[in-house]
Amino acid sequence: MEEIKDTFLHPVVPLDFQNNYRVGAYLQRYLDGFKEKKILGAKCSQCGRVVVPPRKYCGACNLVMEEFTELPQEGTLENFTVGHVNLEKGQWKRADAPYVIGMVRLDGAANAMLARLNVSPADARAGMKVKAVWKDQVEGEHADLDCFEPA
Amino acid sequence: MRNVGIIGIGYTPVFVSKRKDVSIVEMISEAVDAGLKNTGLAPEDIDAYVFGNMATFEGVNMPHLWATEHMHARGKPIMRFATGGTIGMAAFHGAYYHVASGMADIAMAVTYEKHSEGDAQVGLMGIITPELMAMLSAGIDVTGQSGMGAIGGGSAGGISFQASSYLHRSGAGIEHIDAIAAMERRNAAKNPYAHLKDPEATAEKIAQTPMVSWPIRFGHICPTTDGATVCILASEEKAAKIADKVAWVLGVANCASDATTANLIDSQITDPAEQLPAIMASKKACERAGIEDPKKEIDYVEIYNGFAHQTLMYLEKVGMCEVGEAHKLLEAGELEMNGRCPVNASGGVVSTNSIGTSALNRVTECALQIMGQAGEHQVEKEVHKAMAHGWGGLMQYCTITILGDKPKKL
Ligand SMILES: [Zn+2]
Repeated sequence: MEEIKDTFLHPVVPLDFQNNYRVGAYLQRYLDGFKEKKILGAKCSQCGRVVVPPRKYCGACNLVMEEFTELPQEGTLENFTVGHVNLEKGQWKRADAPYVIGMVRLDGAANAMLARLNVSPADARAGMKVKAVWKDQVEGEHADLDCFEPA
Repeated sequence: MRNVGIIGIGYTPVFVSKRKDVSIVEMISEAVDAGLKNTGLAPEDIDAYVFGNMATFEGVNMPHLWATEHMHARGKPIMRFATGGTIGMAAFHGAYYHVASGMADIAMAVTYEKHSEGDAQVGLMGIITPELMAMLSAGIDVTGQSGMGAIGGGSAGGISFQASSYLHRSGAGIEHIDAIAAMERRNAAKNPYAHLKDPEATAEKIAQTPMVSWPIRFGHICPTTDGATVCILASEEKAAKIADKVAWVLGVANCASDATTANLIDSQITDPAEQLPAIMASKKACERAGIEDPKKEIDYVEIYNGFAHQTLMYLEKVGMCEVGEAHKLLEAGELEMNGRCPVNASGGVVSTNSIGTSALNRVTECALQIMGQAGEHQVEKEVHKAMAHGWGGLMQYCTITILGDKPKKL
């Protein structure tokens, strides 16, 4: 058997660029609500379900959702995992301490949203009640909604 | 529509971490030529090719065109699928449509992944990129640290929410995920085309592996594998002339839901373990196959389980048992190769994952069980009907194929 050589092709491609995805009308309305520490959802006129963050279509009804409605800031932790690293500009950085991320279903919402939880991994339980925590200074950005904590 | 049967399968000689001795297209040619050899067909007998691979995993955007000559497809129709984890079964369904519709008499599904030449985690981020808006709509702060932590774990990061929901709703514990992972690594030891094999695997040994993304341990996670698989399908008329043994396609279906980390209940994103697409695709495929109760009529199942909890979760979703019952079947030994509901005698995706091939291998492994050609991992009971399941895209796309030992009555 002939010796296998480590001979590779290493094509160089210009990967150092940034994509620019516009958030669109529905998420813009949601983020504008953050300036007043409000969480807005979209309500389907047919089935009445509220989806947060808002989006254009109710998939069940195939209808455009036109009504925006404010949701309560409390909900249920549906599930969770524990993070040990953060990603900063593509590089892994070890987190100061393990942290909990999970999916929170706000009261009255038909769906869950992914969020960071201010609760220790040992105390996290699927099904626990949680409430929103805002940053002191809000700018109309995703990061304004800092995390959720036990209610 | 006419009857279509699987008349031949071709695997690369091995499925391993690094195939250092061949290029991507040379590796593909090994499976193609194995498929031709196993059926006694010549290249000119293949009317059409359906190719499957995920471009972002190796960064090769047109592998089906690079491989045209290596699969003897010059001057032939070629179509290519890239649907994430489901690729292999999507390509199989594509080949099935070719033959069932009469557009081809013999079609070959060709699939591969050569993970060692790319970076699957970078590729998975590349899958997320076009889905970025959907991620945003699930409330992830993509620019902040926690958001990137949530999606930066690639598949393992995203799947932990599903596993957490599954445990919460089913009453199963992490020890059940350990046990099913161990069973599959033991099964893999009997399959010459499996990657991670451990004849001595136990739940206790898996439980010793590090926690990666709670509740998912290292021992619950698939490897990245180099390998290729082909499957040759023929019309009933052609199959009668060519093949001694045929696994007949009785029903196929696929289903998608919302494009997010989460999944849906009545089309609203709530529970990543709900997996409505699996439920709906299974129902549709059973209906097409004339199966009323898969629990009673299906003898063997291959589940796409990049992560070990998915074997248990999907058995419930595709209708092979009641919700919350799969981990009890596991405890009773019913999922083993000599059990009443044998699953993943091949070792499953958790033992071997060259992603492009993985959903096709679920089909080919069901076919081998029906043909009685699975060798050392042939299950004890007779297999007349089998169900293959495919998962992947993000969290919300499933495929089902039902095979049988007799053609459908048309
Ligand atoms: Zn609606």
